Amino acid sequence: MAHIDLISLTKTYPGRIRPVLDGFSLNIASGELVALLGPSGSGKSTLLKLITGIERPDTGDIHFDGKSVLPVAPNKRGAVLMFQKAYLFPFLSVAENIGFGLKVQGESPKTIQKEVARLLDIIGLPGVEKRKPSQLSGGEQQRIALARALIVQPHLLLLDEPLNSLDPAVRMNLQETIRRIQRELKITTILVTHDLSEAMAMADRMALLINGQVAAVDQPMRLFQQPPNEAAARFVGITTFLKGSLAHGTLRTDYGNLMVNTNGHMANSALFAIRPEHIQVQQHPGQNAIPGKVVGCMYRGEHIEYQIAASGLAIRARVPMPAAMVPHGENVFVVFPQEYLFAINEQSVRHSSTT
Amino acid sequence: MKTLPAYTMRFLLYGVLAAPLLLFGLYAFSEHWFFPAFLPKDWTTAPFIRIVADAQTGKSLATSLGVAFLSSLLSLLVAFPAARTLGLQKFRGRQLAWLIFFLPMVVPPLAVGMGLNILFMRLGLAGSLFGVVLSHLVPTIPYTIFTLAGVFAGYDKNFEHQARVLGATQLRVFFNITLRLILPGLVVAGLFAFLISWSQYLLTLLIGSGQVLTLPLLLFSAISGGNPTSIAALALLFVLPPVLVIAASARYLNQHGNTVREQY
Repeated sequence: MAHIDLISLTKTYPGRIRPVLDGFSLNIASGELVALLGPSGSGKSTLLKLITGIERPDTGDIHFDGKSVLPVAPNKRGAVLMFQKAYLFPFLSVAENIGFGLKVQGESPKTIQKEVARLLDIIGLPGVEKRKPSQLSGGEQQRIALARALIVQPHLLLLDEPLNSLDPAVRMNLQETIRRIQRELKITTILVTHDLSEAMAMADRMALLINGQVAAVDQPMRLFQQPPNEAAARFVGITTFLKGSLAHGTLRTDYGNLMVNTNGHMANSALFAIRPEHIQVQQHPGQNAIPGKVVGCMYRGEHIEYQIAASGLAIRARVPMPAAMVPHGENVFVVFPQEYLFAINEQSVRHSSTT
Repeated sequence: MKTLPAYTMRFLLYGVLAAPLLLFGLYAFSEHWFFPAFLPKDWTTAPFIRIVADAQTGKSLATSLGVAFLSSLLSLLVAFPAARTLGLQKFRGRQLAWLIFFLPMVVPPLAVGMGLNILFMRLGLAGSLFGVVLSHLVPTIPYTIFTLAGVFAGYDKNFEHQARVLGATQLRVFFNITLRLILPGLVVAGLFAFLISWSQYLLTLLIGSGQVLTLPLLLFSAISGGNPTSIAALALLFVLPPVLVIAASARYLNQHGNTVREQY
């Protein structure tokens, strides 16, 4: 519906030294769903308040379709919200809740009634108009909240961890529903979550918010497989980092020499990473293999999770089933296949000059 | 399951609470009831009607109602922003603010009344109805603030945020969402203020300088007069409005008090 530009947004709350947002920039294409991931306290909620206009940024700008919305009041911006709790107005019926946005805009009761019925159809809950919010289940309440947000035909839909309080089955179901409706109506959407799998399942792109800045932004698969820097890598579950010097396609490390694909990368000092499920564990030496000792092994159903100590390096490996379990205390070789080792930046986030 | 002892306890409790009122009832509708007669011999409504129909009684009843209504309205207006800030925000000096709001409840009313009297005389408010209403705010505001602060402590501003982004103006959010959500709390707080103002004697006497005659003042002079029938009739009249107000709001709260809680 609209493309959104968030331009170097900065926000510091009074009485705090560290900014909540520190030069946050992100562009969202029209109709795109971007997931915003970050640890708690990383400024996600603040960002949403800036976008809806409840709070003002200290510096920076917010553009909807190329035009700044900073002078526009929250009720005129067309950026709607869906929270973790449905926040349905308890004293209104379901129909009155959904129609609220149209009513305050002065639409006629007839139009409102028609639109409410249409939205109830879209969210798959026809016929609940007369009920009170308290008579609905948690998942149903969130569907109503979605309908209430969509009825005003917003430029931007903001989802603030909307499914966190639901049980897993309902949650999965609603993930699909929201994504389907978002695609059909082509609504530009920002999904705030700290659930990586939810973000990957739903988003066109994921943005990683660390210390008030975007640490990485990419398509889910790329960000998951080859994160650009250490902070992003840690966030997507990578714990094995190999540091060394690079010469002729070989990474010289304290643990041994490893063959790597350099892709023209020729720095003296280089940092490589590998996903835990790409690390192999075997009992005989080989190429790109370093010796180690199993200090922990857990059977997780779909895979075995090993913790291996190799010359001071703590390696976490996920070996897919079926595989024979190597017992605790055994000496093994850890293999880092050349095609799965990738170079990343050590410096994750641009450090602001003020700190 | 209610057991027999539980019922007995309840009836005893009601009995203890109702006994003084019952006695008033007996006195108000009888004449020449003297010791050692166990019950009055001459039943009559004449003295009760005489007192209730008295012009002065009617006027002071109206004054009392007006003063109590205005001072509860004003204390709600003053308490609302204070309670919202105290209940929703953490700020430096919050404890101090609580203490200051608490002060009128601890300082002896006589001291407050004397001070106010001097101040209001200078301002030309002494002896006026408005002066009396203002003086009643001293004891009513702390109660309204505490009640409303409790309401706001369990209040979630995201309801307002939600309404705002859906297109509602700030004014509309205030009246259609905020006020509606805390209405049960407002009713309770207003009721407190009403009852406190209603039974106020000392402040009315000091600030009103005898010009503003409320029911408690009338009742007090009747007590000095010593006619048990007059005392009883006035006392009944004095008790009636608060009882009606409480009954009405209890009914209201039973119907609407849970709407917000249901949400969670």
